[in-house]
Amino acid sequence: MKSARLHGLADIGVPNQFEIDDILFFPQKAYQCGPAALSMGLVWSGVQVKPETVAPEVFTPSLKGSLQTALIGATRRHGRIAYPITTIDALIKELAYGHPVIILQNLGLSWIPVWHYSLAIGYDLAESFVILHSGRTARKHLSLVTFERTWARSDYWGLLTLPPSELPVTAKESEYISAVIGLEKTHHWNEALKGYQTALSRWPNSLGAYIGIGNCHYELGQLEAAEAILRDATNLFPNEGVILNNLAQMLLEQNKYNEALESILKAIQLGGPLSHLYQKTLKEILSLKDTQ
Amino acid sequence: MKTIRRAIKPISVFLIISFVWISMPYEYASAAIIGTEIAKDSIEGKQARNYIFSVFAREEVQKVLTAQGIDSQEAKKRINSLTDAEVIRLAKEIKQLPAGSGLGTIVGAALIVFLVLLFTDIMGYTDVFPFVKKHHKK
Repeated sequence: MKSARLHGLADIGVPNQFEIDDILFFPQKAYQCGPAALSMGLVWSGVQVKPETVAPEVFTPSLKGSLQTALIGATRRHGRIAYPITTIDALIKELAYGHPVIILQNLGLSWIPVWHYSLAIGYDLAESFVILHSGRTARKHLSLVTFERTWARSDYWGLLTLPPSELPVTAKESEYISAVIGLEKTHHWNEALKGYQTALSRWPNSLGAYIGIGNCHYELGQLEAAEAILRDATNLFPNEGVILNNLAQMLLEQNKYNEALESILKAIQLGGPLSHLYQKTLKEILSLKDTQ
Repeated sequence: MKTIRRAIKPISVFLIISFVWISMPYEYASAAIIGTEIAKDSIEGKQARNYIFSVFAREEVQKVLTAQGIDSQEAKKRINSLTDAEVIRLAKEIKQLPAGSGLGTIVGAALIVFLVLLFTDIMGYTDVFPFVKKHHKK
């Protein structure tokens, strides 16, 4: 009866059973499983919200439900990292590490869909069930087989809502950097900065993290800090035009015209798909230099 | 009259500047710093996403969201919380996205649907009815 996907679970190096303690349960009202699941995840991550407070951020009245992208966006609007979880292995690993996961299931069938969000908080591999804060039931035990079938119907859509100091155990560099970029979109510069720093602690050579840290410092008005991190980055990545371009901009805004010019000319020499942007920076440097 | 005109002039100058400022594309408005998303795409060798395309995608999604009863300010906030990549994907998919709503969605379903789901619930293929006894033992 069990799928191959479930058979492999014994070998992923997690305890046989685990349940995250003390996760606040919000029983859902009609159609409000999205707000309920999201607010439980956010409260766990340290954001004090209630289903009623997040509902206006995720609920779509005509659909009588919440779109996945709205949950992702709302997570960011509360300064948390929205990181996708898309396999049963990853789900179990995150749970074993103490990270609850919002999941979307189709409890019905493809032709009679009953879409439902809940918060996964634990599992038992020996007895073969997952533990969900779901609907009106706290700590609901659902057989792994049924869970896997209902989750598969949403293409295994799962979401972590993490504080930016906390890395998903299953994190991949590119996906994690994209998740932090999401925090930039909601202008949570301090949280995004923390997220990029967290990324660097795991991947010390993450070019994306270096660029992100520079950009967050810049948005926070910390030009010197931005310059410092970008200078570090030029040592690690001497042939990366984006770093040189952004460094040139930091230098320009501190009226260090000659150094800015030197940096942007190096970027232009390297060329690449963003050359037109380097040219623009060069023009700006030259025009401002002339007015001095 | 004159004093009113004198008072209005700086206001209108301010308004004109603000309108021009607002309507300028992002690339020009925020100096020449290269954003993390654009940089990341370029580093990963992805074709630079057409910025204009993501602007259209944002407008398109906003239209759909407001048509579905979301206030336009709120719709804008939701769209602005997404990356360009996410917005472009969303614009393509928005018509068939599932929206989780949980309890209450199948109210009014026909008896046959009830019986089908009751059967599949008992067999463990679905999980619609709380009254179906779920045994999680193998």
